[in-house]
Amino acid sequence: MSHQIISIAGLIYILAMPIYIVYILTKNNKVGYGATFTLTIGAVVQIFGFIQRVIEMYEINHSIMRSIPITNLYESLIFFALCLIVGYLFIEWKYKKKSLGVFASLIAGITIGLTDVLGVTKEVQPLVPALKSNWLLAHVTLSFISYAAFGISFITGLLHIIMESQTKKSFKYIFSTTLLAFIVFMFISVIIDILNGSNPKNVKIFHSTLGNPSTFISLISWMVLIAFILTAWKFGHLLNKTLNSLKIDSNFLEDLTYKGIAFGFPIFTIGGLVFGAIWADQAWGRYWGWDPKETWSLITWFVYAFYLHAKFIRGWRGTKTSVIAVIGFIVTIFTYLGVNLFLSGLHSYGSM
Amino acid sequence: MSKIDKWNEKIWSFFASVDLAIALFIFISTGAALGTIIPQQSEPEMIVRFFSNFFSPTTAMKAYEIVSLLDLNNVYHSWWFTFLLFMFALNLIVCSVERLPYLLKSFKTVSTALPVEVLENMPFKKKIENVSPDVSHKISEILKKKGFTVNIFETQDGIQIQGRKWSKTRLAVYLTHLSILIILSGTLIGTFFGFRGSMNIIEGRGLNFAISDSGKAIPLGFEVRCDRFEVEYYENSSIPKAYRSYIRILENGEVIKFNGKENVVIEVNQPFSYKGITFYQASYGFQPSEHAEFRFSYFDHNNMEHNISAKFEEKFNIPGTSVKASVIDFSPALGIDEQGRLFNMDTNMINPAVLVRFEQGDKKTEQWILTKIPETWNTPYGKLKFHEIWGAQFTGLQVRKDPGVPLIYIGSLFLCVGLFISLFLRPVTLFAKLSKNRLDFYCPSSKVSSISEKQIDKIINKLKGEKV
Ligand code: HEM
Repeated sequence: MSHQIISIAGLIYILAMPIYIVYILTKNNKVGYGATFTLTIGAVVQIFGFIQRVIEMYEINHSIMRSIPITNLYESLIFFALCLIVGYLFIEWKYKKKSLGVFASLIAGITIGLTDVLGVTKEVQPLVPALKSNWLLAHVTLSFISYAAFGISFITGLLHIIMESQTKKSFKYIFSTTLLAFIVFMFISVIIDILNGSNPKNVKIFHSTLGNPSTFISLISWMVLIAFILTAWKFGHLLNKTLNSLKIDSNFLEDLTYKGIAFGFPIFTIGGLVFGAIWADQAWGRYWGWDPKETWSLITWFVYAFYLHAKFIRGWRGTKTSVIAVIGFIVTIFTYLGVNLFLSGLHSYGSM
Repeated sequence: MSKIDKWNEKIWSFFASVDLAIALFIFISTGAALGTIIPQQSEPEMIVRFFSNFFSPTTAMKAYEIVSLLDLNNVYHSWWFTFLLFMFALNLIVCSVERLPYLLKSFKTVSTALPVEVLENMPFKKKIENVSPDVSHKISEILKKKGFTVNIFETQDGIQIQGRKWSKTRLAVYLTHLSILIILSGTLIGTFFGFRGSMNIIEGRGLNFAISDSGKAIPLGFEVRCDRFEVEYYENSSIPKAYRSYIRILENGEVIKFNGKENVVIEVNQPFSYKGITFYQASYGFQPSEHAEFRFSYFDHNNMEHNISAKFEEKFNIPGTSVKASVIDFSPALGIDEQGRLFNMDTNMINPAVLVRFEQGDKKTEQWILTKIPETWNTPYGKLKFHEIWGAQFTGLQVRKDPGVPLIYIGSLFLCVGLFISLFLRPVTLFAKLSKNRLDFYCPSSKVSSISEKQIDKIINKLKGEKV
């Protein structure tokens, strides 16, 4: 089954993360190759799973164009992870820098892990008529490629902010440490969710922590989250020191943040907005209908347009722009998952 | 300067500022986001109920008052949202009108050698010592090979080389901005000269008007007839595979032919257009009408097929026998459970079934016949296959006329082209100064200095390579 192969790929990504950490700490080239090798193996396994899934879908739909596995939430999450890893490996090869590997492997691993807890169906499903469109295919593929590019600028933007902010009272310091604490908290919470869930299909994210039906556990979880945030705030400067001692070039991070957006923005415009509008025009008879998903895509677009204008016309530089890049990706994630989880709309990914 | 001129200038520079653009990005986003959270175009009770999830009942009522005052239950059509979009368009126009002439002028002016102080103030500098004096030709050759336009000046401080590449791509930004205006005007045209509506046509009937979203009848000027509507399901499942309406267009009583054919098929993702009006498959439903017919095939003992159709409770003859039959019950989706009992699975016509009563003299028997279960077709009087009930379903078509759509498509195309050019082909400018045997590279307050930086490194490497 393809989804089992893909879960294995997810495990390999998670496995690559500590190797990247060891490499960063020891700077041992052999360990570095090992990390890259592990991550590449993960990507190869995932591509194999991807092909396997195409074959499984072909058996139902009997058409190659209708067998590209990006037709539901599960498949799109997986595709995002694959794009992120392939994009990261490309950057590693091009710039010969491995420092981002920790984060790329972590995010890809979490994403695949998330599919276990969001209660999404992993089975291959027959396509409902609305999804049978080449425009939709182009729309979804390009959207996720651009999301992966935004994801990379999120990683570099966040690192950049952490590296550059030292004063504990500054907004950037509080912003970045809180965000990191939240990511770590979410990671742990997701693991608890998986361990607690008897039936993987019924697991809901944060169900065993923040959203627990028992007020007591929920309250404790909130306190733990706040404790995480305070700890991150208190010891954030250590992270800052570590990053600085790694001699990651902060210009490199800023440049890569820009490149992620400069690449992702046009792809998102054509794939996410234009092709999405053409598809909606053909399927529903309107190119724009202020559906929550459409609206949030537009907001995402505006945030990155804001980034480009602030950078080029207002001449913003440094961490100021990185903050926008980080916010941009949070909005992207919301467009992608939050809209389905919290708001309702026409997009069929909403039904999990 | 008179007072009015002063005011004019103030207003102009207000709309020409990029700060306004950034403020508008934030306001429009916030407004749009509010619209996805607060229930839109719904009953007041819904909104009060929504707020009482978070607040006490009295506060929820107050919140509702604010919502209705600011049209927050209809954000995207509210006066203030329209106003923001209008400001956005104005901002774009004024900003472009203000800046474009400067850009065009900069293409025309002949470049001159820059003073050394200007070069020294540039954020990027790199120097190489001990180069041979004739290196300027090599540099200009390398630059030309890389697609730069090169200017060489003799100055008191030595030779100055200027290389420019892709400087015209800065125009693409204006294409991008223009495209946004085109798209906005396309939506305006659609709002004022188009309509949206829907029509539910029962199989076998026709309609010559649509019902607009506000409930008014919109005459189409021709008739749309639905000959047949069908839902195709995936094998052994209730997941729909395709929704299909077989349509004919009648104008002044005559059937219009398309590519020589009278019949048109409309499916999801395959709309159909006639005279600027587009029809989309949107929904369907069950609505028995008096002309509804049950359609059968009867196979006699020679395996000859006879087509039979009958209305509800109407008696029909089984060919070649004296048996009379009639349909006395109907179910859209009958299933058989493990104990062999019949049960109704669904309201959709996944597996339509009929209860047929046979009468031979005084003898009466009844039997369920299921479309998809061949064993049930065998009756004591021969094989009777039930095909479908025709005329009991309606197809729900979405109807739209929007003369603004071509503008939307053109605008989208320009938007993508403009964005790709302005983000992937950024202008690059390089300066080099050669005095005696010392070579300096400079890059102006380049927007992305590291791009040029890498190019310079490459050029230096090349120079070094050639010197060896
Ligand atoms: C969401 C809509 C918009 C998009 C997608 C957009 C896109 C862009 C892009 C891609 C650039 C090029 C930046 C660069 O690479 O140098 C740019 C530049 C610019 N934009 Fe926008 N823009 C939008 C709205 C606006 C608005 C409302 C204004 C109003 C003032 C504006 C003013 C400018 C200006 C002045 C420039 C610089 C032009 C130049 O370099 O000569 N933009 N825009």
